[in-house]
Amino acid sequence: MLSDTWYLFHKYLIISLRMPLWSLFALIQPLIWLFIFGALFKNFAQLPGFPAASYIDYFLPGVLIMTVLFGSSWAGVSLLREISAGTVDKMLVSPASRAAIVLSRVLHAAVQVVVQSFIVLVAAWLMGANTSWNPLHIALAMSIILLLGIAFASLSNGLAIMLQREEPLVVMGNIMTLPLMFFSTAMVPAQFMPGWIHSIAVVNPIEYAVSAVRAILIGETDMATFGLGFGIMLAFAIATLAWAISAFKALRD
Amino acid sequence: MIQISGLTKRYDAHTTAVDHLDLEVESGEIFALLGPNGAGKSTTIRILTTLSGFEEGRVIVAGHDVDRDPDAVRRAIGYVAQETGVDYFLTGRENLTLQGHLYRMKTAQIKQRIEELARYFELGDSLDKTVAEYSGGMRRKLDIATALIHHPRVLFLDEPTLGLDTQSRRSLWQYIRKINDELGLTILLTTHYLEEADKLADRVGIINQGQIKVVDTPDALKKSLGGDVVSLEFEYEATENETLSWKLGNSDFIKDTTWEGNKLHLYVTNGAQAIPKIMQMATQEGARIANISFSRPTLDDVFIKYTGSSLSGDNEEGGEQWWEKWAGKGGSNSKWAKKWQQAQKENNGEAQSWRQWSGQENEASQGDTTPRQGEQDASPQNDSQQTWQQWQKDDNPSPATDGATSEDKEPHQWPSSGQQGDWPRDKDWPDRKD
Repeated sequence: MLSDTWYLFHKYLIISLRMPLWSLFALIQPLIWLFIFGALFKNFAQLPGFPAASYIDYFLPGVLIMTVLFGSSWAGVSLLREISAGTVDKMLVSPASRAAIVLSRVLHAAVQVVVQSFIVLVAAWLMGANTSWNPLHIALAMSIILLLGIAFASLSNGLAIMLQREEPLVVMGNIMTLPLMFFSTAMVPAQFMPGWIHSIAVVNPIEYAVSAVRAILIGETDMATFGLGFGIMLAFAIATLAWAISAFKALRD
Repeated sequence: MIQISGLTKRYDAHTTAVDHLDLEVESGEIFALLGPNGAGKSTTIRILTTLSGFEEGRVIVAGHDVDRDPDAVRRAIGYVAQETGVDYFLTGRENLTLQGHLYRMKTAQIKQRIEELARYFELGDSLDKTVAEYSGGMRRKLDIATALIHHPRVLFLDEPTLGLDTQSRRSLWQYIRKINDELGLTILLTTHYLEEADKLADRVGIINQGQIKVVDTPDALKKSLGGDVVSLEFEYEATENETLSWKLGNSDFIKDTTWEGNKLHLYVTNGAQAIPKIMQMATQEGARIANISFSRPTLDDVFIKYTGSSLSGDNEEGGEQWWEKWAGKGGSNSKWAKKWQQAQKENNGEAQSWRQWSGQENEASQGDTTPRQGEQDASPQNDSQQTWQQWQKDDNPSPATDGATSEDKEPHQWPSSGQQGDWPRDKDWPDRKD
């Protein structure tokens, strides 16, 4: 299974590298958000009780997670394309592991968002964000991003198999991403939120990803918050991946 | 190599895609499943390649049960789907390499195999171009090459030439035949092109509504309709050769005759055996024959006989087939099948039909109910034909015409002369693999 995953992952990697612009396309939206929000909410930081030195410091983890969501929530669209092009059938008639087919796709999407997030991180830093450049901190933050990427790519692939159509899948992708962002502390600190939004945020996995990245990259390192976020992301990724693989195995008509 | 017994596949309570299908494909043969869209061809092939499950029956491919040991089946088979299946953004070589890895081949093994396959399919320089730059025919070749990478014993081709132009299609046929001949692969292909089944297959199974209607060699299927068409082209117009055609018409091995300009079409049971006899008679009469050829009924005819419907709706090339027009005139398609059987019964009796035929010909044109294209085209020899038929009637008052049923009075079941010449498949039949 691992070798199958590697060879298929390698294939997706070649395809991505052959069309780098396509992968960079997903960067446009987070960069625009970074720019607009950075300017719009600049003065937030002067409010009493704001937890960061500047708004862009505060928003950086949020925009990184946003990059993950925008990058991985449409991973299922290409699965549908591969199904209709006959590529999936070609893999299915071979003795290749069925789990590897899903796993390679999900890993590819996740690795892609790690690269994208890193570019966004550099862009935010250029815009004046004070982030930790400690390689360990970066690596830990990226591990959260990788796990969340796996989880959302799995969700998207699983949904693609259930829905079998591109249009509803894109709608679902939208529904999954934006509200989840707003129901978290990605843009607004918890103490500024209405109570009911905060109580939703508590059960939102995005919230834990944002908090974990913030705990590791911005200001004082908070390993307890990071640890909690990492644990939740790991469980989330494993559960969604298992669901996507079982959905794919049931694809046989 | 493939054994299917009692295979049933239902999509839901109302849709049975495959209905208690039995089929056996022997080792080393090319077997064509021929049927219209929705007949169950693709479903059957998807079950055989482990892509689909099924409700009832037992399916053994290359000695392995597809239900119990799908992985063993997968290792033994290659599959080329209707869709391309190769990755457009990868080069040919990358596609082949990936496929080799998925079949757990070693890198060195894969490299060697790619060289072999590239030579075999003449991929040449294209091997390192991305598939997006390939032509349709080239892509198909790569597709087949990827399916062969792991030395499978059985190759499944689902509509292999769908959407290809005529030239690519013919070229692909050659490769398919070559694979079968040289590599000894058993090939099961589905098609709704009659010509494809005819040219390629050792045996053809006609499938309709999820059931196999008949299985045999293309030739045997066509022979089952009982007839070849021998065409004589004379150096002179028909009138010069009336004696000969009269003699031929009265010979017991000839069932029927029609004139088309200076061509005489003779309908016989076995063309190869009839030609020497015909030539002997022609020499005795001193007829100067410019050309002699013979052709066979096509699989179209067979298909109609066994399914009661035509494949023409699916077949771009079949749009203007003589029999299609004919069937349209004659009412329902199944009537046509009945006529075949009736015609055969008649032909097995006395050699009366050609006389009856000329009688009907007159009736049909006089009654003007069903003007036939052949007659409209045939103006140059109309006069001669008329006199010859008249003479024929006077000389041999035919009781058959009087006794004919109303069905017999419909235009004759043989192709009308004008359209006969357009029979497209027959021109090529000699290059069939025999």
